[in-house]
Amino acid sequence: MASFEIVAEAGEARRGQLQINDRTLETPHLFPVINFYGGGNEGALFGGGVHRTVKEFLAHDNEVTGGKEYSDLFRGVMTSIASLTDYGIREKKLEWYLGNEIREWECFSDYDGMIFADSGGYKILEQGGGLEGEDFEKEIDQDKALDMQLDLGPDIVVNLDHPIHPDDEFEERLEKMEQTAANAARFAERREEVEGACYLTVHGYYDAMLERSFDLVEAELSEPIPEAFDGIALGSLVPRKDNVEVLVEAVSDCKHVMQQRGYDDLPLHVFGISGKAMPLLVAVGADSFDSASYLHQAINGKYSVSLFDYVPIDEADFDACDCRVCNDDFHRARMRNEMDDLYQKDILGSVAAHNLAIQQRELRQFRQLIAEGDQDQVAGYLEEAAKDQKGFRKFVYQLINERMNPYFEETDTTYA
Amino acid sequence: MHKTPQVNEVNEFIEIASDFEDPLEVIREALSNSYDAKATQVDIKIEQDDEGRNTLIIEDDGHGMDEDNLSSFFDLGNSNKDDAIGYKGHGTKIYYKSDKIQVETVKDGTQIESVMDQPWAKLNNRELPTYSVDRRDVDEPSRTRIEVHGFQAGQGFDPQQLTYNKIEHYIRWKTIGGSTAWHFSNDFHAMEINVELSPTIDDTRQPIETDNRLKFPAENVDPDGEFVAEAMCKHYPPRELTVSLDDGRELTIEIVGMVGGKEARNKLPTYGKHSAQFGIWLAKDHIKVERYNDAIGADNEFFHFFFIANCQELELSANREKIRNKSGDVYQAITDELDRYMTKVCQETWYRDYIERRKLEDKKRSIQSQESSLEERLERTRGADGLSPSNPAEVIALLERYSANGAPESLQIADFQMNDEVNAILDTANGYEHASVQVKLSDFFEEETPLSNIDRFVCWKLGDLDALTRIERTSYLGEPIRFDFQKGEIQYGSEEPELIPVLELDGKVT
Repeated sequence: MASFEIVAEAGEARRGQLQINDRTLETPHLFPVINFYGGGNEGALFGGGVHRTVKEFLAHDNEVTGGKEYSDLFRGVMTSIASLTDYGIREKKLEWYLGNEIREWECFSDYDGMIFADSGGYKILEQGGGLEGEDFEKEIDQDKALDMQLDLGPDIVVNLDHPIHPDDEFEERLEKMEQTAANAARFAERREEVEGACYLTVHGYYDAMLERSFDLVEAELSEPIPEAFDGIALGSLVPRKDNVEVLVEAVSDCKHVMQQRGYDDLPLHVFGISGKAMPLLVAVGADSFDSASYLHQAINGKYSVSLFDYVPIDEADFDACDCRVCNDDFHRARMRNEMDDLYQKDILGSVAAHNLAIQQRELRQFRQLIAEGDQDQVAGYLEEAAKDQKGFRKFVYQLINERMNPYFEETDTTYA
Repeated sequence: MHKTPQVNEVNEFIEIASDFEDPLEVIREALSNSYDAKATQVDIKIEQDDEGRNTLIIEDDGHGMDEDNLSSFFDLGNSNKDDAIGYKGHGTKIYYKSDKIQVETVKDGTQIESVMDQPWAKLNNRELPTYSVDRRDVDEPSRTRIEVHGFQAGQGFDPQQLTYNKIEHYIRWKTIGGSTAWHFSNDFHAMEINVELSPTIDDTRQPIETDNRLKFPAENVDPDGEFVAEAMCKHYPPRELTVSLDDGRELTIEIVGMVGGKEARNKLPTYGKHSAQFGIWLAKDHIKVERYNDAIGADNEFFHFFFIANCQELELSANREKIRNKSGDVYQAITDELDRYMTKVCQETWYRDYIERRKLEDKKRSIQSQESSLEERLERTRGADGLSPSNPAEVIALLERYSANGAPESLQIADFQMNDEVNAILDTANGYEHASVQVKLSDFFEEETPLSNIDRFVCWKLGDLDALTRIERTSYLGEPIRFDFQKGEIQYGSEEPELIPVLELDGKVT
């Protein structure tokens, strides 16, 4: 039902094909976070302001897309059961949402990308182990989380996890890891109910933590990890998302631990990260990401110029962008607020689509580079991308120097 | 109507000649001129007569001067060299600060002898000096000999400033004698340099014999030993960095350098305060001009580095001491590229290891000094006569010992906050008590801390009894106070005095 084939490698970076049922996804891949329901009704594409506009892009609504096809931005999307209650809905509505799988709603029936259904562990943990609506509070355990995930008709599901925090004391962290491991074991017991792929969450910032995380899961499972799971998802990195050094260490160490244990054929997903760290994380072996940053940036009025930079929307130079959103007069007019009866969501929706296109374009380029199998080119790409990013480039240079091309390897070549 | 601005030539000559303050600059100019003349050998002699008058003699085997070249030599701002070090035509004007300039030069079989008398006196007399020109045909190879008699520069030509050691370092650091060009070219133009001072100036050593190649101390990338980081040294081989400007022009930066510890760096010649001379140097003609240590970033210390980044697009002030085009895009592009290059150096494995090793060795040194200070303490403790606590925490340790060894009442420390005024909570037979634990009781009263919340004092000694008696005779914070040292208690307050017991541990603990 699910398979992951590595088709090319360049150093530690790899290009793969994730096959789940009859859907194929090229990796490395970014799963944009989509809030499919957002408290609304089907007629309004389940509401949600800019979220709604993004869904209209996903669902090929001609009035929003300008008649163009944008499905390549949404080959795989991430959604979370925690987002079901984002808008303080009533319990009845939640049941209604869960009454049909996403693709069973007419508005999403054409959507043919992969749906990664997260268990929403972070939010559930924050809300004291449950989900809250307007007239209900639901305790969520592993079984309930999986029931809700499966109700969405997902291609990828993941166990309910208890994300750790950098400030957690050891005991607290251990307790969370143990709960995650227990959930993973229960999740594995229900493996056959899942028609798609099952991912296992692990947590940790460096090797010793990650080893503990894997050890605890292994101790709970009755079978080896690769038999129970189709992929690994590394979580808890969002609070450290601005510290590239920590991210690289975490992903790199996770990869290393997976190699040592013989799981490195499994795809490695990194929860909640995108943007400038993404190329570096691909370079150390990450296969997929998810993030809502494309959308949050748009909501905050930011237009991406590259993975590294953004400008306020009214300063954006659409001519300088080669993405399809910016090359379409319809969207340009929207983003410049030049059309009548525009809502903020219409303007920002196009910006969000552009921001997503920039991130997907970078990953597409990266996939091509990896396909050529030339580590020098990958290093060159990273170096060029980071060359004007003071502060950030030192991490890039360090990575290139230590793992790809040592900058000063040759011996003295002076003319004597 | 158009008018042409006029130049006061006399003033200009005085101005330019005065621009060069350091007597050593005459050596720099001489070497640059000889280098531009493609000389392979240049000899500089500085002589001093009994009256302290100085004569400079500069001889080289370069291509010599014809009459045009000689004009440029004497003219101001009229160099006929456009790609050479002395392209501004200012440098030779330093010789005008003298009593006589004599030039003898041979070019293509023609010898020219030229004399300029009293240039400096005439200029100061508002008169332009003139020079003679005598030509004759000769059968000898090209060469030039310049004699400058009665030369003076800056605050006079102080012989004490001109030691061989100083000159040698100056040549290596600030002139073509310290060129890094040889790293970048197979057909490098080599030049032997000799400098001889008259014995009245410096008779401490042999004359200087050197060349025009700046060399780094030997590499020592992974030495064995316990404290070796100071000796570590790595060369970063010559690299040509190319940068494109917005207008499509391309710049080339030639960079070469080293990273190393103090011992390695001490082998480098430097001019000025040694430790302050390291970092990233911008250079033109492969001669260092100004540092740009910002390229190293705030995470790193400049003195580990010695890099020379040469770019011919840098423009210099007349005396070559400063970069003139700092506000332009060229300078910006050069420094941006240097920032990137130095980031690569700083992120390199060897460099990071070197810094780690330094840190580790510093720690080891501190362990060694810790060991010796511990030994000293141990000696003192062995020789000491009994216990002598120096802070409240030590008093607590003694209180524990006192309680464990048959104290009449049970006193346990329940909580202790070192810096609080009332620093301890005692667990006693009567329940919890707020207590103040002091080395000396008298110290507590010096601080004028209120007594309201104190149930008990624990101290090592009562301390200065006279000081306490003095407080007793006046008052404490406006209230009467009595110390009863026999009973071990303090009576405090006017109407219903409080009784605060005092436990003095000295003599009760062994």
